[in-house]
Amino acid sequence: MAARPQKKLFSRKKVCRFCADKELHLDYKDAKTLRNFVTERGKIIPRRILGTCATHQRQLCSAIKKARQIALLPYSGTIQG
Amino acid sequence: MRRYEQIYILRPSLSEDEINDIVENTNQIIQGENGSIISNDKWGMKRLAYPIKKELQGYYVFCDFASTPAAVSEMERKFRIDDSVLKYLTVKIADSITEEGISAAQTEAESKAKIFDDETGSAENEAESPDSMETKEAITVQADTVEDSE
Repeated sequence: MAARPQKKLFSRKKVCRFCADKELHLDYKDAKTLRNFVTERGKIIPRRILGTCATHQRQLCSAIKKARQIALLPYSGTIQG
Repeated sequence: MRRYEQIYILRPSLSEDEINDIVENTNQIIQGENGSIISNDKWGMKRLAYPIKKELQGYYVFCDFASTPAAVSEMERKFRIDDSVLKYLTVKIADSITEEGISAAQTEAESKAKIFDDETGSAENEAESPDSMETKEAITVQADTVEDSE
């Protein structure tokens, strides 16, 4: 694999979107918004890419895991309509 | 009284009467323990993200209520026995809630339900959709690089 400047790419300053916006807090029932934080294969996007702070990443993860439990999000595989 | 949120998924092959029966029974367990129901919402038929007990669709029911923990364990016990309930999830929202809190939450839930009926989607989704579209593109680009490096 070609050597990528990964450290430079991901260590840019990024504001946590939940701290900045004070949007409505993530709900495990809200599958549409949660899908933005999940890759196409259904994996949770890591914090270093999203730029969230630790607290919100933890809340986001637990919301995604609850949504997976009630089949609003898949555990793995492509997200179908 | 603790405040809980519960979602349970019923088999899609059930008739309206059977669905109402199950909802009624669960509500009665709450009221039997002198709890109070804040809101009861039927989301209807939805496609499941993965097959549960070989079913690809499920009938979602959402319930927001305040009761004792004993009522919750009783409800879960009944769900486990019942074949027509595919999955259930109970989440504790608040450790204690007063009667005023309950009535305030009830009125809030009713007004939210009216908003839901008026618009096609939920109000939260509409507010967030312009932002989420832009960020979604950004995320998918980065997610691709992540997956490539894997």
